[in-house]
Amino acid sequence: MMKEKASHATRLEPSPFGEEVQLKRNLAARHRAGAIWHALFLLALIIGIIALTALIYNILDQTFGLVAVEVKVPPHELAQDGVPLEDLSTEQLIALLEARVSKGVLRRLKAEQPLEQRDREDLLSLVYERVVQPKIVRSWSLTDSLLRRRSVEMEVAQKYPSAQLQFRSWLNPHFVSQPQSSDPQVAGVRTAILGSLWTIAITILVAFPLGVGAAIYLEEYAADNALNRLIQTNINNLAGVPSIIYGMLGLAIFVRALEPLTSGALVGGVADPTTANGRTILSAGLTLALLVLPLLIVNAQEAIRAVPNSLREAGYALGASKWQVIRDHVLPNALPGILTGTILSISRAMGETAPLIVVGASTYIVYDPHGPFSKFTTLPVQIYQWTARPQQEFRNIAAAAIVVLLVLLLSLNAAAIIMRNRFSRRLV
Amino acid sequence: MMEGTVGLIGYLKQGEAIMLRQTFEREMQRLQDELLVLGSMVEHAITDSVEALKKRDLEWSRQLVADDRLINEKRFQIEADVLTLIATQQPIAGDLRVLASTLEIAAELERMGDYAKGIANINLMIGEEPLIKPLIDIPRMAAKAREMLHRALDAFVRRDIEAARAIPVEDDEVDNLYNQVYRELITLILANPKNIDQANHLLWAAHNLERTADRVTNICERTIFTVTGQMAEIGKEHSGYRLG
Amino acid sequence: MIRLNFELPSLTLGKSAALDASNPSAEEDSYALEVRNLSVYYDSFRAVKDINLKLPKRKITAFIGPSGCGKSTLLRTFNRMNDLIPGVRVEGEVLFNGYNLYAPGVDAVEVRRRIGMVFQKPNPFPKSIYENIAWGARINGYRGNMDELVEQTLRQAALWDEVKDKLHQSGLSLSGGQQQRLCIARAIAIKPEIILMDEPASALDPISTLKIEELMRQLAEKYTIVVVTHNMQQAARISDYTAFLMMDEDRAGYLVEYGTTAQIFTNPREKATEDYITGRFG
Repeated sequence: MMKEKASHATRLEPSPFGEEVQLKRNLAARHRAGAIWHALFLLALIIGIIALTALIYNILDQTFGLVAVEVKVPPHELAQDGVPLEDLSTEQLIALLEARVSKGVLRRLKAEQPLEQRDREDLLSLVYERVVQPKIVRSWSLTDSLLRRRSVEMEVAQKYPSAQLQFRSWLNPHFVSQPQSSDPQVAGVRTAILGSLWTIAITILVAFPLGVGAAIYLEEYAADNALNRLIQTNINNLAGVPSIIYGMLGLAIFVRALEPLTSGALVGGVADPTTANGRTILSAGLTLALLVLPLLIVNAQEAIRAVPNSLREAGYALGASKWQVIRDHVLPNALPGILTGTILSISRAMGETAPLIVVGASTYIVYDPHGPFSKFTTLPVQIYQWTARPQQEFRNIAAAAIVVLLVLLLSLNAAAIIMRNRFSRRLV
Repeated sequence: MMEGTVGLIGYLKQGEAIMLRQTFEREMQRLQDELLVLGSMVEHAITDSVEALKKRDLEWSRQLVADDRLINEKRFQIEADVLTLIATQQPIAGDLRVLASTLEIAAELERMGDYAKGIANINLMIGEEPLIKPLIDIPRMAAKAREMLHRALDAFVRRDIEAARAIPVEDDEVDNLYNQVYRELITLILANPKNIDQANHLLWAAHNLERTADRVTNICERTIFTVTGQMAEIGKEHSGYRLG
Repeated sequence: MIRLNFELPSLTLGKSAALDASNPSAEEDSYALEVRNLSVYYDSFRAVKDINLKLPKRKITAFIGPSGCGKSTLLRTFNRMNDLIPGVRVEGEVLFNGYNLYAPGVDAVEVRRRIGMVFQKPNPFPKSIYENIAWGARINGYRGNMDELVEQTLRQAALWDEVKDKLHQSGLSLSGGQQQRLCIARAIAIKPEIILMDEPASALDPISTLKIEELMRQLAEKYTIVVVTHNMQQAARISDYTAFLMMDEDRAGYLVEYGTTAQIFTNPREKATEDYITGRFG
């Protein structure tokens, strides 16, 4: 009787969640929707990985590959009494140079350093450079070199009968250690690497203290009023301004208006034979500092905001002044976050090209920069210039320079990350 | 040391610097001391009232009647302390039983104090009249009752249920003395009806002492309850009620 | 007798012009804090209104009351912690040793040095245990032997035996209860006269809670403690005096009843107090 009544009651009042079957169906639908989203997120990741792989493939494809080399004098012709060129003695090499190199060049070489004082290695490379004179007549991508070796060989045999097929890594110690040259075979990126490092050093030195300082002021001191909100909004917007605008700003302020300062004339004692005027490393560094400043401020603000308020309260409750709380608690705890933001900013600055071209990076420079008042070029600028050349070989060295840039970026970031982790470990 | 305290300390790991609820333990200890003070006051009241009766010292008896107020005050103070502890310290389990028993024992002691006051009043009622017989058994009853009370309180403090079970058996001794006093006084009344008044008074005094000894049994029962949670009359534990 | 000292209005000396408005009488000497007609506003909202209280020295006073009744706000007026929140305004007086904490010229930083605070969630600095204790002393210009101070303070906080072998490990490596005792130790390291505690045990397990309570009882022999708690049993267990606060129709907190803890919990004068502590309301 009671049971009957109970079941009657349930029939009269259906569960708001529906019957059992509906519930099961509903559950299945929810799981299905979840699975679809799961798959979409995975897809997004895969697309990202594919894009990245394509990029790296594209770079590496250009960095290594077969080259067809023609020589003016084949090395075997230079062998003496059955001794191959590589095994000739110092005296024999000097004799060979005296015999085969024009008088004018010889005189210049001797003026640099008398032949007798040079070691064997040096002499041998001089022989290759001045006598053998290898010339790359054609280069192929890594893919072609590996997969179409036969047709490449046939092509060489047909078109360049005198050329020799060699496998060449465009990225090599020579490339990293030599200055710029108009000949892609001997051109290097040393000037550009040094230029980049100098510029970034100035950027960090200027942007880091300014950015952190501004962030501290905005987070810890500034009252919540209309003016400060306006400033805040502007900083946020500045982070999104195209970098070329900063280049124009840098040109107007640092290169033109502040030329006496940025050219080093005010500091005095700078006798730069290249006469950079205002187009110096200092101008470039300051321009990049300006560029990353909003980014750095916003990031540092986030980091400072992330410091729990309970720590500030704990400090104040012990009778600490505001500065003591900031110095001993807010900053140390925000530092890992600030450093992360700095890493991001520096990476950005490192890869910037447009503002530097506007500010006046040199297109062709073979002297190493020796201070903030030197003319400069940077890796991305160098890459940009090389990729603009029609010859295939410049594209190869551009790819090699990209690899150098990436390695430089990664090692800078790694250094920053190690530093950050050391800080966080010490604190927690 | 109290059993409850041992349990708490045993819970703590070695080297832990803070003893948990030290303050509460201290309050409990203080309360127990107060209970013993009350017990001691009552013990004295019992023997003193009989001693005053025996010596016919009316001034002393008057003083004893007045002093009963102190016993009552002490009881109320203990009661207030127990209630405050219950209200503020949330005692449970053993602590709760101790406090409940303390409340009960304080009430019992206060009643015993009233009996002693009754004996002092009897002395005042007898007044200047000489005693109809020398007092021998009544002081013995008083001494026995006092001794039982003392041991009962000691058993409570030590949570000694063996002693608590043994003491009520000795009540028979007091009962026997009471019967003896009763027979003697009846004989005196039959011999001389003039003795009725005083004999009746003395019988009343003996009765008070007999009741005092009975109440010691109640204290012993509270001790057993405190330790075991068992609420029963001694000797009839099987028919009692068990807490929990 | 009056020595003018405008640079450092010292509350103990109390001889600066700003603080010497009234001379404390002997009767007031037994009170650590005296609250007079205190109201606290958040912008235009009145959070606490017309509080009058006298907190005895070296006793524990507990503030109880339903959530939002302003007991924490009231507590935070005692060391001017509310100054850190924009828009907070305090009316009335809080007399400390007879001198108004809100008189012009009183430096909130010095107030907080003399009236310490422990918070609801244990918040040790992410530094070593040693440094947690030493920091407060150092920034306040302590010149004595720091090792001694750290040991003595940790002993007072009944934490020494547990941490003496790991003084240079992070304060965050301790358990929640130990962290909170570290915070209490940190507060007493700068020798305050009053310690304010804002629900100091509400984030802890029962055993840790009892340890904190016991520690508070021990500290009450030297310090005046004011504790806010939403745990009535805790207020009953640890405090000597209890103040019960409630909200009126405008959601402003006001003092309903203030008395000894024994009185409040056995025989409250106000019906509202009885309803609250017996769980019939709130």
